[in-house]
Amino acid sequence: MISRRERVMTYTLLAIVSIAVLFPLVWVLLDALSPSSTGAIDLTSMHWSNFVTAWQQAGFSQYLKSSLIITGSVVILGTVVAILSGYAFGVLGVIGEKLLFPLVLLGLMLPMEAFIVPLYYDFLSYHITDTYKGIILAHLGMGVSFGAFWMRTAFRAVPGTLGEAARIDGANSWSQLWRVYLPVARPAVLTLVLLSFLWTWNDYFLALVLVSDPAHQPITLGLGAFSGRYLVQINLLSAAAILVSLPVIVLSFVFQRQFVRGILSGAVKG
Amino acid sequence: MNPTLIRNPARRNAGQPPAGAVGRKPKRHSGVGSGRRPWLGLLYLAPGIILYAVVVIVPVGQGVWLSFFNWNGVTAATWAGLSNYTGFLSDPALRAAVEHTLYFIIFFSLLPIAAGLLSAVLTSYKGVRGAGIFRAVIFMPQVITPAVIAVVWQRIYEPDGPFNDLLRIVGLGGLARGWLGDFTWALPALGLAGTWAAFGLCMVMFVSSMQGIPQELYEAVRVDGAGPVREFFTVTLPNLRGPLSVVLALTMIGAIRLFDLVWLTTKGGPGISTITPTVVLYERAFANPEVGSAAAIGVVMTIVSLLVVLVIVKLAEGRSE
Repeated sequence: MISRRERVMTYTLLAIVSIAVLFPLVWVLLDALSPSSTGAIDLTSMHWSNFVTAWQQAGFSQYLKSSLIITGSVVILGTVVAILSGYAFGVLGVIGEKLLFPLVLLGLMLPMEAFIVPLYYDFLSYHITDTYKGIILAHLGMGVSFGAFWMRTAFRAVPGTLGEAARIDGANSWSQLWRVYLPVARPAVLTLVLLSFLWTWNDYFLALVLVSDPAHQPITLGLGAFSGRYLVQINLLSAAAILVSLPVIVLSFVFQRQFVRGILSGAVKG
Repeated sequence: MNPTLIRNPARRNAGQPPAGAVGRKPKRHSGVGSGRRPWLGLLYLAPGIILYAVVVIVPVGQGVWLSFFNWNGVTAATWAGLSNYTGFLSDPALRAAVEHTLYFIIFFSLLPIAAGLLSAVLTSYKGVRGAGIFRAVIFMPQVITPAVIAVVWQRIYEPDGPFNDLLRIVGLGGLARGWLGDFTWALPALGLAGTWAAFGLCMVMFVSSMQGIPQELYEAVRVDGAGPVREFFTVTLPNLRGPLSVVLALTMIGAIRLFDLVWLTTKGGPGISTITPTVVLYERAFANPEVGSAAAIGVVMTIVSLLVVLVIVKLAEGRSE
């Protein structure tokens, strides 16, 4: 319904924008496949082995293990905590809710800078810096606000009559949660899991502050260390960068819809 | 940031009340004995609230307290009064950081919003094929780990990197340089990387709200003979006030808090030419501890962030009501 001239303009502009977005990514991808360590792109011989070499030289096996332990624990425990808190706020009600709920919501607006310095010294005195325990605890605490808010909204959308019916059948609050409320709220839980994965996997700052021991650092810090050490070997660094972003890219393709919805509603988390 | 911001504007556009999001009023659990058991609720909330208190609330209080002391992280702290705050703008590193933040707001907030609006409008024209593909491409930087984005742009800006190659091809080879190592150009170079990384999110937010704008409005202005530019200013833009305020708040906070991209590429350098408040905070807190000063930076950043959100929310409400 637009004129021919407008259409040509539209496609031209969109093409320019798309190329500008893709260019840096494609370039790094081509670098990663090239044999030259100075970054000269040469696709006559694709060096898939760069990925293996980068993996070994960057010591990614250890970093990946740490990332999986941290991200896995945070996603699982954080989701459970979010479900319990959301159920409390959304269905059961809480003593002192008028004070507690705004206090929890405040966490959505606080930047990490508000508490990172004392948090580090606190953790130092509990002897949990440089441990999985410490970084997992920090992620969990920071995730409570969004998780509680998110699951509260999801549970409030469940018709109260469903819970009521189960209650009359003699189900207690615990089995009502798992048998009635949770199945209905499953899409919200999936979005929360994806977001939690994304945030924890992508984190750099929190881990930089709390974990200085390479044996417990996540893969984002591993990439940082590698880029400091091997500035010259551009093809390997590019390969390493692609490996680090791969899990998130794969997930975003598999769960495209939930992912975009999640990023939109979750972007507000500081 | 309050996530209700995000859902409310869309609903407002659709002509519905912003139901249930923060929801004090609408009670879906109707009436009597609807399973509200607040003591039990407190038990369910306990793990969450304890974690939150230990990691967030208590340290926030400690941060305010610490900001009144001089402390090197090891020996005993001494009372500093307000000196960690009063020295703020006379401190060269901090003043530079604040100036850079204002500069970054252009690149991380205003430019992405402009580019996001443009892409949202272009991909929303009826009869544009492959709009979904264009959007997926433009959104792509959103799913890439920030640490990886830093590596990518470091590569692009290298002395013999593709950016300089491009300049040489178009005959501007004289301008070629190591962009991130340049005192003048490192800042806008990082800014451009930020625009690249941020505008896909802006676009998607605008697109999802534009879908709620009634098609008749567009047809009406087209009948009046309006071109695409007038159409944008009379129909699209006025209907995007909600998402605009959300995106503005989000991206401004992002600019204020900028760390990963800078730390992984320039570490604030060369000199202090790309330093940001969070970089200063990090260095003061951990590298060369002046913990009180670092805590004061954290407190000020928190207040500024909260104010930014408040002002934008108020502005958005004030104008639409």
